[in-house]
Amino acid sequence: MDSKFLLINNLHVKVGEKEILKGLNLEVNKGEVHVIMGPNGAGKSTLANVLMGNPKYEITDGEIIFEGTKINDLKVDERAKLGIFMSFQYPEEIPGITVENFLRLAKMAIEEKPIKVMKFKKTLREKMELLDMKEEYAARYLNEGFSGGEKKKSEILQLLMLNPKLAILDETDSGLDVDAVKIVAKGVEQYKTAENSIIIITHHRNILDYLKPDYVHFLMDGRIVKTGHESLIELVEKEGFEVLKN
Amino acid sequence: MSIEIKDELNLIPVKTYRWLNVNHLKIDEVFDKEIKPYTKKFVDEQSNGNMFLGRINNVVSLEQYLEDFKGQIEYGVSKKLVHMAENLNNAGIFASLKRGKTIAEPIRVEYVLDEKEDVLIDNNIIIAEENSKATFVIDYSTEGNVSVFHNGALKVFAKAGADVTVIKIQRMNDNSYHFDSNVAFVEKGARVSFIQAEIGCKKLVTNYISNLKEESESYIDSVYLGDKDRELDLSYYMNHVGRRSISNMEIKGALKDRAKKLFKGTIDFKQGSSRAIGREEEAVIIFNKDVKADAVPLLLCTEDDVTGEHAASAGKVDADKLFYMMSRGFSKEEAIKLIVEASFNPVIDKIPMEDIREIIRKEIHNRLVTEGNR
Repeated sequence: MDSKFLLINNLHVKVGEKEILKGLNLEVNKGEVHVIMGPNGAGKSTLANVLMGNPKYEITDGEIIFEGTKINDLKVDERAKLGIFMSFQYPEEIPGITVENFLRLAKMAIEEKPIKVMKFKKTLREKMELLDMKEEYAARYLNEGFSGGEKKKSEILQLLMLNPKLAILDETDSGLDVDAVKIVAKGVEQYKTAENSIIIITHHRNILDYLKPDYVHFLMDGRIVKTGHESLIELVEKEGFEVLKN
Repeated sequence: MSIEIKDELNLIPVKTYRWLNVNHLKIDEVFDKEIKPYTKKFVDEQSNGNMFLGRINNVVSLEQYLEDFKGQIEYGVSKKLVHMAENLNNAGIFASLKRGKTIAEPIRVEYVLDEKEDVLIDNNIIIAEENSKATFVIDYSTEGNVSVFHNGALKVFAKAGADVTVIKIQRMNDNSYHFDSNVAFVEKGARVSFIQAEIGCKKLVTNYISNLKEESESYIDSVYLGDKDRELDLSYYMNHVGRRSISNMEIKGALKDRAKKLFKGTIDFKQGSSRAIGREEEAVIIFNKDVKADAVPLLLCTEDDVTGEHAASAGKVDADKLFYMMSRGFSKEEAIKLIVEASFNPVIDKIPMEDIREIIRKEIHNRLVTEGNR
């Protein structure tokens, strides 16, 4: 198979009447870590949402191909079942369902088969420990009353438990203190294998102290204007986004 | 002989504009049924050092028990229906908890209606002597799909320091009728918790009044589900009479198809109920635009040193929440079902018996799942 893992061709997306993505191209191969940076309003979160299939966003042109299948018209849950996962910038609170039950049901929904409860519980405990989450969080309602940092950890816990093929982290590191960024990065590091890929959308480079990207892309005004390596970030930090316009 | 009901039910405590159509529920129906004896066993009768529990028809005289409350018992869906329940009943329990005794095992009462026994008129009385404690589960269900008629009354007398929990489950088939009148008298320092699950029926009218004396507590935790053409009329009333009394109502609902719901929740702070606290919150999840959801939260006050809070909300299943759930692999139908079940869980989790929680969850699950397949 020489088909790309994820291929985005000339993607145009609008929200309401406003066009946000204006011909975006991106290629991601298995085992790669891609970082997407860019100014506010450039379309970074839109890219994450449209990859996951948020119905608020409408694709007007272009295509998204995941493992050889065009997924433009697939529903959100169908994409999740193919192995696409998004860590939300603002995770929803789901009062009434505990973290443990939610994850167990989600895993069953994605794998479409029953799971072994004891093994599941054991894995859950291990992953929670890794993320420095107290055991009692498993019995708490999902994200309800969680602090900003706890919500982000809960997202990474879901990532580790559901073990998708493609993880899109939408500003998972924003609003976190240094220690929390480190823990989240540790979680993502554990997820990373040669078989799966990560797209990190971020404002800050802090998380890149722990996770080494293969590519860094700058997204401006709905398009990727520059692709390079980590050194690109330094340049932009010194000169500002303006430097990319040339 | 047939049962005729031409009446105005669940009268609002304070009348409002007629055009709002919430002052009462008008009913004019003839049920081609008669009140026959109800022969099934519905309770394990017992008499021991902790309590007396029996069928109400076997209790010779209630007068001695009810003497303390004479004249102040006004309650129910309507006077006529309460009169029917108290005087023409074919079933019901009488429970008397002895002073200072705790009944460890929940007391279960199961009324099952079917084609042969399609009318249940039950009159239930629970008397909890000082510092006694018990939990009752009253379960109304049907076998088969024939339309059945239920009209019942429940009186709870919780004397000083007593602690009574009543869990009422109504899961009758979609062709049935349910009229349910409840009243609690909560004496000094006593507590009455009323947990209700209204899941089935074609038409259901529920009324609950709690009279709170000094330092007493009264709680209502209720879930309801309206699907198909169900009509629900729910009226809850917390009557704060005593100082420092506390009440709380938490009601969670879900409406789909063409269901109609009217919820009336009243907190009444009577003169003398200083430093009382009353809270009520009703939240309903709406599936589609064909449902009708009305809520009338009322705060009445003739005492100024009190704390009252009320809130009612109705909302569609939130699109962002749905997207979040679906991104974790749940189909839209599964996600909606989970969100509803999740919203009910805080109430259902208050039921101390696993098997009862399971019964309720299963009933709700089944009714939500059939929607998904349609």
